[in-house]
Amino acid sequence: MLSPYTVLDLTGGHGDLASMLLGDMGATVIKVEPPGGAAGRGEPPFIDGAPESERSLSFFAFNRNKQGITLDLETEAGQNAMKGLVEKADFLFESGQPATLDSLGLGFDVLKEINPKIIHVAISAYGQDGPYADYAASDLTIAAMGGPMSLQGVPERAPVRISVPQVWLHAGSEAATAALIAHALMLRTGEAQSVDVSAQTAMISTMLQGISAHAIQGRDYQRAGSLLQLGQANLPVVFDCSDGYIVLIPSGPTLVVIVPWFVEDGVVPESWLGDEEWPTYHVRLLQGQPVSHSAEEVLTAITKYVANYTKQHLLERGLREGVALAPVNDMRDLSGFQQLQERDYWLPAPLPNGTEARAPGLVARLSETPMSVRSWAPALGEHNSQVLNALLGMSDEEINLATGGKAG
Amino acid sequence: MAVPLPFDGLKVADFSWVLVGPTTAKYLADHGATVVRVEAAAPLDILRTAGPFKDGVPGADRTQFFGEFNTSKLGISLDLKNPAGLEIAKKLISWADVVIESFRPGIVDSLGIGYEAAREINPSIVMASTCLMGQTGAAAAFSGYGFHAASIAGFYETTGWPDLAPDGPWVAYTDGVSPRILAATIMAALDHRRRTGQGQYIDAAQLEMSLHYLSPQIMDYSTSGRSVTRNGNRSQYFAPQGAYPCAGDDQWCTIAVETAEQWEGLQRSMGSPAWAQDAKFGSMEGRLENHDAIDQHIGEWTKDQEPAALMQLLLSHGVPAGVVQRSSDLKSDPQLAHRNYFRHLEHQEMGTIPYAGHQFRIKGYDSGPRFPAPVLGQHNEQVLREVLGMTDDEITEAIIAEAIQ
Repeated sequence: MLSPYTVLDLTGGHGDLASMLLGDMGATVIKVEPPGGAAGRGEPPFIDGAPESERSLSFFAFNRNKQGITLDLETEAGQNAMKGLVEKADFLFESGQPATLDSLGLGFDVLKEINPKIIHVAISAYGQDGPYADYAASDLTIAAMGGPMSLQGVPERAPVRISVPQVWLHAGSEAATAALIAHALMLRTGEAQSVDVSAQTAMISTMLQGISAHAIQGRDYQRAGSLLQLGQANLPVVFDCSDGYIVLIPSGPTLVVIVPWFVEDGVVPESWLGDEEWPTYHVRLLQGQPVSHSAEEVLTAITKYVANYTKQHLLERGLREGVALAPVNDMRDLSGFQQLQERDYWLPAPLPNGTEARAPGLVARLSETPMSVRSWAPALGEHNSQVLNALLGMSDEEINLATGGKAG
Repeated sequence: MAVPLPFDGLKVADFSWVLVGPTTAKYLADHGATVVRVEAAAPLDILRTAGPFKDGVPGADRTQFFGEFNTSKLGISLDLKNPAGLEIAKKLISWADVVIESFRPGIVDSLGIGYEAAREINPSIVMASTCLMGQTGAAAAFSGYGFHAASIAGFYETTGWPDLAPDGPWVAYTDGVSPRILAATIMAALDHRRRTGQGQYIDAAQLEMSLHYLSPQIMDYSTSGRSVTRNGNRSQYFAPQGAYPCAGDDQWCTIAVETAEQWEGLQRSMGSPAWAQDAKFGSMEGRLENHDAIDQHIGEWTKDQEPAALMQLLLSHGVPAGVVQRSSDLKSDPQLAHRNYFRHLEHQEMGTIPYAGHQFRIKGYDSGPRFPAPVLGQHNEQVLREVLGMTDDEITEAIIAEAIQ
């Protein structure tokens, strides 16, 4: 789908997902790392838990479909090779501290001189300029400054982030989208484009209805554990079942199916079947209109019922009867989730240590131009000769000089 | 001359509802496409029934939950179960370059506007279907929200405290993940169409898109058997890291120390207290092991400090820090003001209200939402007349047939 395009990826653990998505869509992606390796190679978790080069599963996960080269951008030889690549490329992603490329003589003004149609995408914590541009940041601090943390966690304790780092993934997929928007703009104007992606704002967008809550309703939403806060009612959505937890939203379309299960088990009297218009129950509840069974009664019934069943049983019965009962899966449960096997989602990923991991598959199924994984993450400098010789006609000696001595 | 918009001239029929489809279409709408958002008056899009409501007063046209994700679109209220309504839907498909839908799998086929039918009407159409589990497989019909997909993916297991039940993300989390990826996919498909004339069908499962956000952990489990779980704000690898209490009502500042230099910076910020000199805190391993003790000391130090000043102090010593900001804080965040992030637009029912801007800026191009979200059926006549070119008589017939609600 994007096979005519070449993407240069200079990101270092912040935004690798951007060019991976374009690579899965068919683009040729060249990962350009410093001679010592991209910072992403130091991101946990590690194969065998060992923090060594070529062992980062995080690097491995987000750098498939990329050729890997090293360039020493501190040297003239490295910069010249980089300029040669820019001439051949369509997109360039980078995630350095703002102005890093400028200081190397590779800022946008230089890039567009070399290639008047280049799409330059810079990914950073807060943006390329402005009062916060130089702030030190991490996954946790950006999740805080972006807002979603303020909504997460029980009120008795501190707000929480999602325990698995998410921020740079949001920024990365936003960067892929922004790059294609800028590319569409370039097709209109004929001019190179420079895009500035802010991870903070990427996180803000994940607050969904919380983003503008204060301006609209005059008050912030407050974190309340797993309570779903809608309109006039707060509804819990996590329930204890016999072997873990499930997520169940007690809305009308769900209740109409599961209230008869409660009756079956004697959890509620049979009168419940006839004395409430279950399909519209939640609408009236949210609008503060009369209902014949209070939210508390309904929640008590759900709690009693699900406590007797396993999450797998509830998922399966839900599937059969058309209602969404979602197990709170850990990684083991997820690996057993049949739907993903049935759709051939998982991909076998050969790791550098000779073992094989299971990796998430393609983000979408396309009828005419299917996405594909053609290669897994490159070793450091693996394609130095291949790329620099084939694309730029550089000699071994020139390659050695530009790559900091790793001919690959 | 004004800068052209990236998707000027692109035509999109947005039959989707709730969050993923509409937010995806919003990317095209805000950047220039003509997007017709097709809604039903009954059942209403669930976003129209939930808050935040303007001034706390409920109403289908008073919620920014709907508004935030439907900017720059024309809105029509169409009954797809009505034969005359379905005819109008087919006219829209014939007009459009892109169709987006997010019904339960099989619904559009049963209505006669699935991909096969759409391609008959419009051979180069790009059609995207998105749902939680994908169009195929035994669980395809699993019809829920982003809460459910997040739970199945593992985001509930990994959000909250290790000694408590899972909290889960506050929002329907996979709805915040999927739209970007689907939007990029559609844009790539459109670029392919521009070059080749070929349209296609896209089946985008929100679970499958979102699992990439757990990819390293999934791979780790498959090789080591380690299953990641919720851990408050801590990291397995770095310490100290957490949200620490500050002066004021429920105020917090996050601090993350990932390197030896940052640990030194933190000590300097605190005035180099004696406790921090203890040898057991000298290494990352030691700090990970004694995280509770460190947190207690840091909390003592932070609890009477104003959060923004504390953040500035830490940053001045090179320590990553960030205040836990709420919606009310975002309104006055100077960095967001610098980026002109919030855009104030005049909504027909709610008046002038802020809309979130985009998460990126493009030099020389102003990329905010173009106009506010529609009230239900706001552009019925405009769409039928100007977009679809229907005559007065045809429009009257559609109204009499109750195709337009």
